Amino acid sequence: MNKTKREPFNLRNFVLSYGFQIVLALLFIFYAVSTENFLTPSNLINILHAAAPTMILASGLALVIMTGKLDISIGSIIFLTTAIGGTLMTRAGVSPWIAIPLMVMIGAVCGALNGFIVTVLRVNPFITTMGTMFILRGAALFVSEGLLVSIPDFMKKFGNAKVGPVFVDILIAFVFLALMHIFHTRTKFGRQVMAVGNGEEVATRLGVRTKRVVFTTFVLSGLFASLGGILSMSQLGGVSLHMGVGLEFTGIAVAVIGGISLFGGEGSYTGLALGALTLVIIENGLVHVGASPYIYPLVRGGIIFIAMYADSLKARVQARGRIETIEQAPAAAD
Amino acid sequence: MTTVEKVESELLDVSPGKAAGARLKSSGFVRYIPLILLAIVIIVIGLYTPNFLTARNAINILRQSAALGLMAIGMTTVMIGGGIDLSIPSMMAFSGILGAMYMRDGGNPFVAALIMVGAGMLGGSINGFAVAYLRMIPFVVTLAMMNIAMGASIWITQSVSVAPINQGFIDVVMAKFGIIPMPVIFVAIVTLIAQVLMKNGIFGRWLFAVGTNVRAARVSGIPTQRVIFSTYVVSGLFAGLAAMLVVARLMSAAPTMGEEGVVLDIVSSAVVGGTSIYGGLGSPLGSVIGALFITLITNSMNMMKISYYWTLIIKGLVIVIAVILDSLRRR
Amino acid sequence: MAEPYLRMVGIQKSFPGVQALKGVDFEAFAGEALALIGANGAGKSTLMNVLGGVIQPDAGQILIAGQPVEIHDPLQAAAHGIAFVHQEMAILRTLTIAENLYITSFPTRNGLIDFEQANRLSSSVLARLGHDFPPETRMRDLSPGDQQIVEIARALLGEPRLIIFDEPTSSLTSREKARLFEVIRSLKKEGVTVIYITHLLDEVFGICERAVVLRNGETVGGGMLSQLTYAEIVRLMIGTADVSSYFRHRTAQIGDIILKVSGLNQKGVLSEISFELRKGEVLGLWGLMGSGRTELSRAIIGLDPIDSGSIEIRANGSLKPIQPRQAKKWIGMVTENRREEGLLLPKSVKTNISLANLPALISRVWPLVDNKKETQEARTYVDRLKIMISSLEQPVETLSGGNQQKVVVGRWLQRNPVIYIMDEPTRGLDVGAKAEIRTVILELADAGAAVILVSSDIDQIMSMSDRYLVMNRGRITQELPASASKDELIAAAAGGQ
Repeated sequence: MNKTKREPFNLRNFVLSYGFQIVLALLFIFYAVSTENFLTPSNLINILHAAAPTMILASGLALVIMTGKLDISIGSIIFLTTAIGGTLMTRAGVSPWIAIPLMVMIGAVCGALNGFIVTVLRVNPFITTMGTMFILRGAALFVSEGLLVSIPDFMKKFGNAKVGPVFVDILIAFVFLALMHIFHTRTKFGRQVMAVGNGEEVATRLGVRTKRVVFTTFVLSGLFASLGGILSMSQLGGVSLHMGVGLEFTGIAVAVIGGISLFGGEGSYTGLALGALTLVIIENGLVHVGASPYIYPLVRGGIIFIAMYADSLKARVQARGRIETIEQAPAAAD
Repeated sequence: MTTVEKVESELLDVSPGKAAGARLKSSGFVRYIPLILLAIVIIVIGLYTPNFLTARNAINILRQSAALGLMAIGMTTVMIGGGIDLSIPSMMAFSGILGAMYMRDGGNPFVAALIMVGAGMLGGSINGFAVAYLRMIPFVVTLAMMNIAMGASIWITQSVSVAPINQGFIDVVMAKFGIIPMPVIFVAIVTLIAQVLMKNGIFGRWLFAVGTNVRAARVSGIPTQRVIFSTYVVSGLFAGLAAMLVVARLMSAAPTMGEEGVVLDIVSSAVVGGTSIYGGLGSPLGSVIGALFITLITNSMNMMKISYYWTLIIKGLVIVIAVILDSLRRR
Repeated sequence: MAEPYLRMVGIQKSFPGVQALKGVDFEAFAGEALALIGANGAGKSTLMNVLGGVIQPDAGQILIAGQPVEIHDPLQAAAHGIAFVHQEMAILRTLTIAENLYITSFPTRNGLIDFEQANRLSSSVLARLGHDFPPETRMRDLSPGDQQIVEIARALLGEPRLIIFDEPTSSLTSREKARLFEVIRSLKKEGVTVIYITHLLDEVFGICERAVVLRNGETVGGGMLSQLTYAEIVRLMIGTADVSSYFRHRTAQIGDIILKVSGLNQKGVLSEISFELRKGEVLGLWGLMGSGRTELSRAIIGLDPIDSGSIEIRANGSLKPIQPRQAKKWIGMVTENRREEGLLLPKSVKTNISLANLPALISRVWPLVDNKKETQEARTYVDRLKIMISSLEQPVETLSGGNQQKVVVGRWLQRNPVIYIMDEPTRGLDVGAKAEIRTVILELADAGAAVILVSSDIDQIMSMSDRYLVMNRGRITQELPASASKDELIAAAAGGQ
């Protein structure tokens, strides 16, 4: 009975915990040595620049995942909010000081809709957000009338603005992640998110208002998605019909690569940042080694698979007692 | 299970709980919701669209729903066992592409068909192995597989559609018996076989047991891992079969065949057809009716010249409502 | 005596189909340890869940220190000084001890959690319980016993005036148990009211002063433990006059060895298990909870993996070694938890009975289950076991516990294995159903099957066994004949402790 006590150092656990950091380091060295232009200051800044929007848009989703649930509607939320924002700013001439807060609010409302269906109507979060993913994409197409939405010039400039050699959005992303880190580790809500991820029933019994916590994570997921969407929109310089497509999967991949377990209750924002960087570095490096762009999706799929495999392996090793529940887990992480 | 439910179940343990019967009765009605919905939708659309209630359009809808129906059967099999397979459309695209490339390079259409089905089953068995033996979460595994199959499709085609396809292959798959197209007959037969096997075949019985209570199934000597593994192989098989129909209809193959929207249609078909996302409930016939329902929505919205975005919104609503009903049924 | 600290008056609670509490009156005094005793389903957990705010009563009143109070949720209960240590631990595995203790009430500084203070407070509470784990330790790195200590520490945080312990010792070692009892004693000295729910009467006499016995949702008696005997309490719990009315009268025809287990090991759980089982024999596997009884039965049929050892089964006249995962071919297993591992609750009686035997029900014409044959077979066993059902299509979740258990047994009768393993086959059943299950087991043995019987109910196991294997800490420590007395069995189970 007393065998859960852990020996001080265990290679397997070490590899499982830091596997992706090790891979990241090796990849970095590989690219640095084998290509000329990878390890240049401007490329490194480009890597951070590319990762910045992802870090922000995945940070709310990360909270949802930490509660053991999923939100795959964030790509559509991004499309909807940027389509509305772009339309308001360019076609209706609304000031960005009004349009941007409005975009963020719409993101939060979409998240609240997901949260309501999941917590009040008690529907499986994966299927719920799959449904809203299509509803919101439909709504966004309605708003954009199926056309490319342009954005004001100063937004485009903002997307590539620099302070010294560093892009502004990199600074924004890192300040944001630092705040999220404090929010996650040092506030009651942040800790209660982890508590819910350990099991809703247990958390409820301890007096955590589980539903409120879950609802809030969905709201934040929508809210931060729209924030990240604004950065992304500024970088891209417009809102195409494919805005946000696949971003939910990028978000999940980034979280899982960063060690945020899909089983809930595990993970950190430093991990999230590393996850985003890993994904971007791999793709950036592929450009520098001259790989065919058609192989990117395959590489990305492979990375996601490995990350997820490592995650379930870790969950099994670290929580033997939970194997039964894992095995019985319904279709999606419920 | 909340503490209250636990207390309740502990109590039910010692006394004849008649009340539970009442709770279940409602599920009888819920089961027929897909049929009722289908009837209502047909009537409403029929009233507003002049060309809708014609034999021609009916056959058209049946033919359009054939591939979706096949994939929905595969999905239902996985879902009854308590899993989900998000990789069906991308595996369908990938296996279709492989078969099409083989034919483009002058290969035998019969072998091409085998390649499609075989590739689907191979992909399915990777999913099945990961879920059943490596004990990974179904959602996670198939999501990854979806990405990989999609990535592989884009890679091998360089995003260019694969054509031409052997005309003989198209002629056979798209043949007509009288006015009824071959795919419709094929799906009807497959559905019936699947329905019977699921209800009274050993595998079907085992599958329902595993989906209802995997631990009880294991104690009863059911090879639970093998059953779960097989469900993914079956869904891969159906992805391969669907690939044949889709490739023949399009007369080409491209990665876009497996776009994301198709997953939603498949899950919607299954859930509208009475399959529970929590496992243990569902039927191939229900899911094929569900597929018909989803196709009907798409088709009628086209006929009523309603924009594409409304189609997305309505389909999204359909699946949300269907799962809300599903979770109500579970209480 | 003084005014009671807690009074619960006329508490009623119904669940669909059953009245769990039929107007219970209940009192507890400051500074006493009160044992709340009752059989499974007597209503003791429901009553305490009402007090703890986990469930709402339909009628009745709760008074604390003479004042009527409303308790709608666990937080309100805590506000009234009530703490609840649940049997099932509420553990946040990935969080630290301090986080587990303060998850709803973190001390803060400048709006952020003050972990220094939380850790300091955690250490002081743990010290009160005689432990010094670093408060930053993650919960999943603690043993179950240590986790329970954290659980109790959490109950002490709010300086409660009343603590409910629901079966607190089930995962504790004897040393941890002794420490818990010390804590309870010191709580009593501080004037705290302790309500102690258990089915282990030894503990009751060891730690409590007073007992209240519930049966079928009613208070049926109680009093000062100094004036009650063990037998009187058991009689109150069970309700029937004679506790030891049934004993076994059977001349067993015990035959050849049919199962031989040698040197079975499962790391940390089972060590060097070797025994033989004969045809027609009921072998009682006896020991305390956690002695390895259930683990052994699960290992034999391959539900849990073994590290070493061999299992031989007689097939076609001679003993042959088999792999544990093949064992299900010959061995029928009735698990201890029929809801979790026995039944497909929403499915029909027929489906549940056929479950283990489907390959034998295949039609001769098609590779399909023959519905007619299936119905006939199910009907046969429903009749033979006198399972009370309205139709074969009735979902098993609507049956009573006894009938559900018979469905599980019926499933294996149909399969007709040579060996049965019955793990707590009568747990949670009423007296009548217990007797019926017992009759079935004895009939099986008379018909030549071999049965391994696991039960914590000494009367049950004594009324059936031809021989006992006594287990303690994962080992077989002793073998006793059918003639062994109750005292001998109890002494053997207690072993070296």
